[in-house]
Amino acid sequence: MRIYRVAVVVVFAATVALVVGSLVAPPTEEHRHLWLLPFVALATLTPSVIGVLIALRQPRNVIAWILLVGSLPTVRIVTLIPARGWALQWDRAMWPLLYGWPIAIAFVFPDGRLLSRRWRVPAAAAVVCFVGFVGLAMFDPARFDPPNESVHNPMSFWHAPGWLVAVWLPLWLGILASLTAGALAVWLRLRRSSGVRRLQMLWLAWAGGLIPLGLVWCGLGSVIAWWFGGASSSRLLYAFLLLMETGVAAAVGIAVVRYKLYAIEQLINRTLVYAVLTIILGATYALIAVLLGIAAGRGSAWVTATATLAVAAAFRPLRGRIQLGVDRRFDRQRFAGVRLVEAFEREVRDGRRPPEEIGVVVAQALLDPLAEIVFWLPASHSFGRATGELLPVLPDDGRTRTAVGSRGEPTAILLHDPRLLERPNLLHGVVRAARLSSEIARWRVEVRLQLQEVEASRARIVEAGYEERRRLERDLHDGAQQRLVSLGLQIRRMQRSLPREAAILVPALDKIVDEVGAAITDLRQIAAGVRPVRLDEGLASALADLARTSPIPVEVDAPVERLAASVEAAAYFIACEALTNAVKHSSASKVSMKVSHRDGTLMLTVADDGIGGAAPRRGSGLAGLHDRVAAHGGQLEIASPIASGTRIQAALPCES
Amino acid sequence: MRIVIAEDAVLLREGLAGLLEDAGHRIVARVGDGESLLAVVSEHEPDLAIVDVRMPPTYDDEGLRAAVQIRQLHSETSVLVLSQHIESRHVVDLVGSGGGFGYLLKDRVLDVDGFLESAERVARGGSALDPEVVKQLLAPADDEPLAELTPREREVLALIAEGKTNAGIAKQLWVTEKTVETHVSSILGKLGLPRSVDAHRRVLAVLAFLRAAP
Repeated sequence: MRIYRVAVVVVFAATVALVVGSLVAPPTEEHRHLWLLPFVALATLTPSVIGVLIALRQPRNVIAWILLVGSLPTVRIVTLIPARGWALQWDRAMWPLLYGWPIAIAFVFPDGRLLSRRWRVPAAAAVVCFVGFVGLAMFDPARFDPPNESVHNPMSFWHAPGWLVAVWLPLWLGILASLTAGALAVWLRLRRSSGVRRLQMLWLAWAGGLIPLGLVWCGLGSVIAWWFGGASSSRLLYAFLLLMETGVAAAVGIAVVRYKLYAIEQLINRTLVYAVLTIILGATYALIAVLLGIAAGRGSAWVTATATLAVAAAFRPLRGRIQLGVDRRFDRQRFAGVRLVEAFEREVRDGRRPPEEIGVVVAQALLDPLAEIVFWLPASHSFGRATGELLPVLPDDGRTRTAVGSRGEPTAILLHDPRLLERPNLLHGVVRAARLSSEIARWRVEVRLQLQEVEASRARIVEAGYEERRRLERDLHDGAQQRLVSLGLQIRRMQRSLPREAAILVPALDKIVDEVGAAITDLRQIAAGVRPVRLDEGLASALADLARTSPIPVEVDAPVERLAASVEAAAYFIACEALTNAVKHSSASKVSMKVSHRDGTLMLTVADDGIGGAAPRRGSGLAGLHDRVAAHGGQLEIASPIASGTRIQAALPCES
Repeated sequence: MRIVIAEDAVLLREGLAGLLEDAGHRIVARVGDGESLLAVVSEHEPDLAIVDVRMPPTYDDEGLRAAVQIRQLHSETSVLVLSQHIESRHVVDLVGSGGGFGYLLKDRVLDVDGFLESAERVARGGSALDPEVVKQLLAPADDEPLAELTPREREVLALIAEGKTNAGIAKQLWVTEKTVETHVSSILGKLGLPRSVDAHRRVLAVLAFLRAAP
């Protein structure tokens, strides 16, 4: 292991030294193109640095060594070799090696092994072709390009025979074939891989894809540059190829150390968008420049201005269009998912679907049947489902949590399959689209919960009221009334034990006992008003009692079956209230009360034949009736047309 | 007459006991809840048990339930139930289903003579139903056969329903027994009830008739 590390450091140090040397003493012909030097240094150093970073951690990593060693021959060592002729010869011959290491990586990425045993043939063929091609180029007897035309070529002693082409051409084709084979290897691995491996391959594929893309860009750039009489395109191409080297190395580094692996989908998406965008804009610019140039003359400021303006104006709309197109073409699921959520949001806006369904829609959009949105409910200090079910603790069932909504306080949490993290584009696109609906849904859930709580507490209060009445009634009967009876009894006993001569007191004592009896009757009536004892025997009995004491005739039609005590009490007091109303305000000659029980609902109808026109005003009996019915989660209907009587109908939910 | 009193309010219980003792009856046991009542009734087999409806532990209707049990288990013991309020139809059922059962509001004891008379009647196997309850039974006045009764006849009918004998009715209405008998036979005729001689059977028939009314 140690020896590997030492070797890593030595190779890296050598590379750095060579690069620094090449920068300190640049080759003469590049003095005109000094701007190229940083590109050259970058193209060599990036793979080297990434190689060393990986190798220090995993000294046996094949990829690291390809990066480390592969970049070495690309250093411009022209000025560092004393034999100037050989130096220039190497400089001229080595350019295919720029592709050497990327192809090698394409063959063995990411595990350092070939795809299968059969791939050894193309791999070996590639090595032969590269070595043969560069080796053959070293024998090139041609003169050097200016300004080195005066330098002596050590190979000038011979003339290349004609048959050499027959050897050279297959080698060149072999290099091209190995380039294709490398691309094929990457493509095959991409198809067969999944998860992290797939993301790694995507990174490499992205970097590889930059090369043909770059060629197109360069072509366009050359056309424009040529039209405006600009610099030579071959240097531009060269600089670009060097940049590609850097890109590939960086992508490989990211893929190997797995840093921000998940960003690749977004990166590919953006690259595609901007590639297509620049190509179209460039083509537009070139077209306008050429067409107007023919009319207004080459190099006119007007032409440049018009072309620039057109491109600037087209930028934004074009970008949107292209983004949509790219999404549709290359990320169908994200496109379809976001569209689904957006369509849902429109339906929510039109009131055709409740926003609470957002969780289901997101699950559909993500193609993850287990996906679920839970809302953060600040007033309840808890998470909750769309159904209103509270979740004090988020379920820990292996699903990953992704926040929906702004940072800081999340609106909701999306629970989903952890594998979706590999599709950040899809995940975040859908989550972002779901933000508004989640926010609306969360408040609706919150309000509904709070309302339920208020309703429940109102029901509890009413219930407590009934209980209180029962207690009061008991207290009256068993307390005060009982005492009065004993008091009367004592007086009676005393009265009966009076001596004959005290008989004069008898009428007075009779009067007192009569008063006591009257007080007892009063108390009994008060107690009955607080809560009729007959309610214990059922609604029918209680209503019959109520009818008996009514000043106007009341017809009662109620089933004798027993219901929940609270429902019976509610129905009784509603009937009382309605009857009181009828007696006080309706001038009715008769009232009918009808009770029926069906499908878990108690229907109470109180109708009179009075003057009608009753309306629930604040503080009126009818308004109180409304509150009472609502407290039981029931519904009240009042129909009171003028001169046609009043009909009050209460529907109370009850489980019998 | 040997009497058992079941009443949880001590003051009232003692007052009641004193009243009955003054009238020459013997109180053989005084208890405060239904369970003890059943125990002392089994032990003493008294002529009459005077029972409060609401007693511990639930203060609901344990007095009534104990009364029903006593009537089933000890036919020789009559039961007079006392209540603070007007109970239901099933009290009427109880009173109407057989003799030796009475139901009165507690404040009826303030009419000492009336109360003693009712207690004795029940102990002898007769009935006693509180006038308030009877009033309720007679309330639907637009009922066909009842509507044919004269006011005086209605008064008499109410007293029959309460369990009063002809002599008792005569005394209360300040008329002769003969007049009462005339009223009674007229009432029974109008209502289509059998003219039974037995005062008790007559009460049952009247109650059955009134119960059947809507």
